[in-house]
Amino acid sequence: MSDKRPACLLPPVSPAAGPLYQQIVDNLKRAISDGRLAGGAPLPSFRQLAGELMVSLITVKRAYEELERDGIILRRQGLGTFVARDGDDRSRRVKTERAEELLRAGAREAAEAGLKEREIAEVFRRILAKEKP
Amino acid sequence: MNQNAVEIRALEKHFPRFKLGPLDLTVPQGVIYGLIGPNGAGKTTTLDLIFGLGDPDAGAIKVLGLDHRRDEVAVKRQAAYASPDASFRAWGTGRKLIRFVSGFYPAWDEAYCEKLLAELHVNPDEKITALSSGSRVKLGVIIALAWHPKVVVLDEPAAGLDAISKQQVFAELLAAVQDEERTVIVSSHALTDLERFADHIGMIKNGQLLLEGPTCRIVERFKLLDFVSEDGAAFVSADGVFIQRHERNQWQAMVDTERHTMESLASRGARQISATPMTLEDIFVALGKD
Repeated sequence: MSDKRPACLLPPVSPAAGPLYQQIVDNLKRAISDGRLAGGAPLPSFRQLAGELMVSLITVKRAYEELERDGIILRRQGLGTFVARDGDDRSRRVKTERAEELLRAGAREAAEAGLKEREIAEVFRRILAKEKP
Repeated sequence: MNQNAVEIRALEKHFPRFKLGPLDLTVPQGVIYGLIGPNGAGKTTTLDLIFGLGDPDAGAIKVLGLDHRRDEVAVKRQAAYASPDASFRAWGTGRKLIRFVSGFYPAWDEAYCEKLLAELHVNPDEKITALSSGSRVKLGVIIALAWHPKVVVLDEPAAGLDAISKQQVFAELLAAVQDEERTVIVSSHALTDLERFADHIGMIKNGQLLLEGPTCRIVERFKLLDFVSEDGAAFVSADGVFIQRHERNQWQAMVDTERHTMESLASRGARQISATPMTLEDIFVALGKD
């Protein structure tokens, strides 16, 4: 059952890019909200993921606990961990909240740099045009 | 089940120019515990004392609930120690060394030993004197792991290893603790690897414990803050604020977030505060400096 999963579910993590568990949380959310992991899909066990990503078990546990708290994944006693049925919605919602937070911080920074509202909106439009997410 | 693998309480060891302790360390069962600290902090002294190399001047050490002195035999039946000082040269080849050592341990796992030799690329038929220093260190690690001791203590298992070998050694340690019954304690300067593989970190400096806890919590606890403040005096002397650099009214400091919040710093006159996460290595350097 475990061999049906794609071999490289998540990109590698590195201490240089912030807390490791946070990177795992972010990467799993991305995989869930863009559909690579569908609602109800099984997640690798702690051990498997720790071995794959070369991180300690505690790091993976911590990441799973956080996703469980947000209702994005579920742990079923004796069966393993699964993406919640509406995990993609929840993941998107959490990501939206986070995006808003970052935009707010960006706006604050821009205001502190002396940019006017109109100019901030202009900067943002320019970024959007370039990035095309 | 929730017994600690190693408990060190009020441990002291006095040398003419160095005093270790009083030191308390708690190593939970089933983890990789990284003991870190600047050179001369007392790491090797501590590990040596666990294994009865030298007598403590005060304090107690328990390994799996057993007194390390009174129950010495029982402890050594369940705990292995590898030190980088072991030269092994007297045995000639790794193969002969392994044959000798394995005789002491009924639980010696030959297949596992062969697997470790292959995975860590150590040729047991090579003369030990012809091995690179890295391979000799790996040989010590293999011998410590091969009989499945419940507690494995490794002093500098990454010393002299290239980045690839280092990752391989740590990956083996990770595999060794996967059943959550075995515990690995490593002293190391390979902080990037420890941040990745160690569940728990204890940092000592000048014979004293500076901090101890789950690696992720330690890494989250300290943040690098940039801020603007006209008067730095409020920060320079504050506990838990480690000034890294400053120029005129621009400051950069590592801050212990268990002691200070953004709000409390703002109330001391910091403006435009921005926080950056830190790596274990960044934290080590900031705390290790005097």
